[in-house]
Amino acid sequence: MNDPSFFTSRRRLLGSATALAAGFAVPAVLRAQEPAKPAELIVRAWGGVWVDSLKKGVSDPFTAKTGIRIRHDLTEDNEIKPRIWAAVQQGRTPPIHVNWDTTANATSSALRGVCESLADLPNLAKVLPLAKPIGLEGVPIVNLYSYVYVLAYRPEVFPGGAPTSWSVLLEPRFKGRIALYNDGIGFHPVAQVMGGGKVSDIPGNMEPCWAFIRKLKEQKPLLGEDPDFTNWFQKGEIDVACTISSNAREAKAKGVNVAWTVPKEGAKVDTDGMWIPKGLTANELYWAKRYIDFALSTEAQQVWLDGLGLPGVAPGLRPPADLVGDPSYPTTEKDFERLILIPPRIQAEHTAEWFARFKEIMQS
Amino acid sequence: MALSPGRSGLGAGPSPAPYRLSWRILDALEAVAARWPARAEGAIRWLLLLPALLVVGLLVFGLLVMGDASLRVMDFRTYRLSEQHSLANYVRLWGWGAFHATLWRSLGATLLVTLLCLVLAFPYARALTRTSSARLRRLLLVGLFLPFFVGQVVRAYGWLVILGQQGLVNQVLGLLGLGPYRLLFAYETVLFGLVQYMLPFAVLMLAPALAAIPEEIERAAASCGASPVRALLRIVLPMARPGLVAAALVVATLTLTDFAMPAILGGGTNDFLANLVHDQFFRTSNAGLGSAIALVLTFLGTTVAGLLLALAGPGALGVRGAR
Repeated sequence: MNDPSFFTSRRRLLGSATALAAGFAVPAVLRAQEPAKPAELIVRAWGGVWVDSLKKGVSDPFTAKTGIRIRHDLTEDNEIKPRIWAAVQQGRTPPIHVNWDTTANATSSALRGVCESLADLPNLAKVLPLAKPIGLEGVPIVNLYSYVYVLAYRPEVFPGGAPTSWSVLLEPRFKGRIALYNDGIGFHPVAQVMGGGKVSDIPGNMEPCWAFIRKLKEQKPLLGEDPDFTNWFQKGEIDVACTISSNAREAKAKGVNVAWTVPKEGAKVDTDGMWIPKGLTANELYWAKRYIDFALSTEAQQVWLDGLGLPGVAPGLRPPADLVGDPSYPTTEKDFERLILIPPRIQAEHTAEWFARFKEIMQS
Repeated sequence: MALSPGRSGLGAGPSPAPYRLSWRILDALEAVAARWPARAEGAIRWLLLLPALLVVGLLVFGLLVMGDASLRVMDFRTYRLSEQHSLANYVRLWGWGAFHATLWRSLGATLLVTLLCLVLAFPYARALTRTSSARLRRLLLVGLFLPFFVGQVVRAYGWLVILGQQGLVNQVLGLLGLGPYRLLFAYETVLFGLVQYMLPFAVLMLAPALAAIPEEIERAAASCGASPVRALLRIVLPMARPGLVAAALVVATLTLTDFAMPAILGGGTNDFLANLVHDQFFRTSNAGLGSAIALVLTFLGTTVAGLLLALAGPGALGVRGAR
């Protein structure tokens, strides 16, 4: 938690909390020069509550305003990436117009140089500084909201109240009943702290992280992806998990008795963003930018992120009623003191290495 | 050759039927065929083989591209493969514990699933080909082909429903005052799913071989005093060898390269090599390392197939002219 970059990022996140009224309006001069509208734009998205919220908050209103139909492509973010890279390399039209992506994953595409610049989006000047990616030249990605990898749990197995430490994952009664992401994403900084290390040692010395994950391996965790967590809670397969709060909230919305907390050791905070692959025609590029610009607006974010239960980058958003004061919906300096942000560029440059270590432990 | 009424010698009597156009076309084709040079027959064979050869050729081309990528290292500062070639990816695999664990898990599953499938498929295929009851044969045929209509992923999800904590099996056990037990997300579950998936393939490969064994031979063995077990071991199994080898080949290669069962039933900790390849290409974007693992997997599959054929001896597949 003493990582200087973390504090810097946190300040950036909160720096314009009092900023600027939202507005969708594009300057009239721009509207006058609008190029031809494509029949549709293809936006890659995650399934379930993720795409439902995007459709309701961003895509449908965008269609209503512009007449451009939005098609959602639910190919996984990791799987669309090599297809985009190949299309750009071969000079073909990329398979999608807008990629809704984790910032860390998007950063790898930015490092490869396949992203269009988004620096000229009008709404970018009106939102929190967090919207601009850290550690990258220009604005190849626009961050749209942050999210927290919380400790989700079944309240009936904690009759005394919410667990206060990630150490509950090591309790013998939860052997075979805990879950993590199958690439360890979201858990590395927490494991570093739990293993007795410092966040500021990431990525230089992560042995404490691996030591803790080795201990966790003895607990026979299930490893999965977003939909698995909701499913596993629903089917009674797990009691405790490290997952994005939205998944726990979705399970709760489906009638599963699930709660979540940010333990005393902290939790990882991350961002998702959107970017546009190179290789689109000029008019498609223009309207794809307009789509992302609209996704940055308070009008769109209020509806979209209410569905996800996540704090956006647009100013003046009201938290959903069920998340007021919730640690997974950080809005104040105090909330962020408990959260750990690893710059996306560090994540992108070390993902493969961390993945290899995580796999080595979990597959052995 | 088609007969015309004039040449058949049957011209007397009522007026002959009109000589149809289709017959004339066939006559013409026969005339062309009669003049076709004998050496062109070889060309026709190759022409017919061409589509298959093209498909295999494309596969080889793909392997060459992957071979090239496997010799390049990913630079994660630019997410581009190096210009220089080296064996670094293979060296890395050699020292990577996850690769070793996954490799041995894949090979172990290949051996176990193949053996189990052969053992389970043999009585099924024998009953299918020997039963005198048409109803039973129909039932067995439905049992054989029905699984082919349900894809592997759907079947794997079916097992999630049946074997889950709140699944059918645990509900039945609950009625007996037992459980619930964790039946999913273990190596054994993956093996179980694979056997269930591969069994119809094994039966399908084995049944023609068993059907080709004349029942009289078994009856002759019995009349000469051979017990049913002796007849099975000395007569039926050796004669069924082409089917057994074909079944083993299909099951072994499909199991070795399987992706869905370990991914869905393995709970993330029972990956096979195909899962590792997928991870490298799609999760870490490391096409170099992914290609290296893919080539190792291809080499292993070829070796397993070669070993099976070598162990089974010459002509094991019953291919005419095999020595």
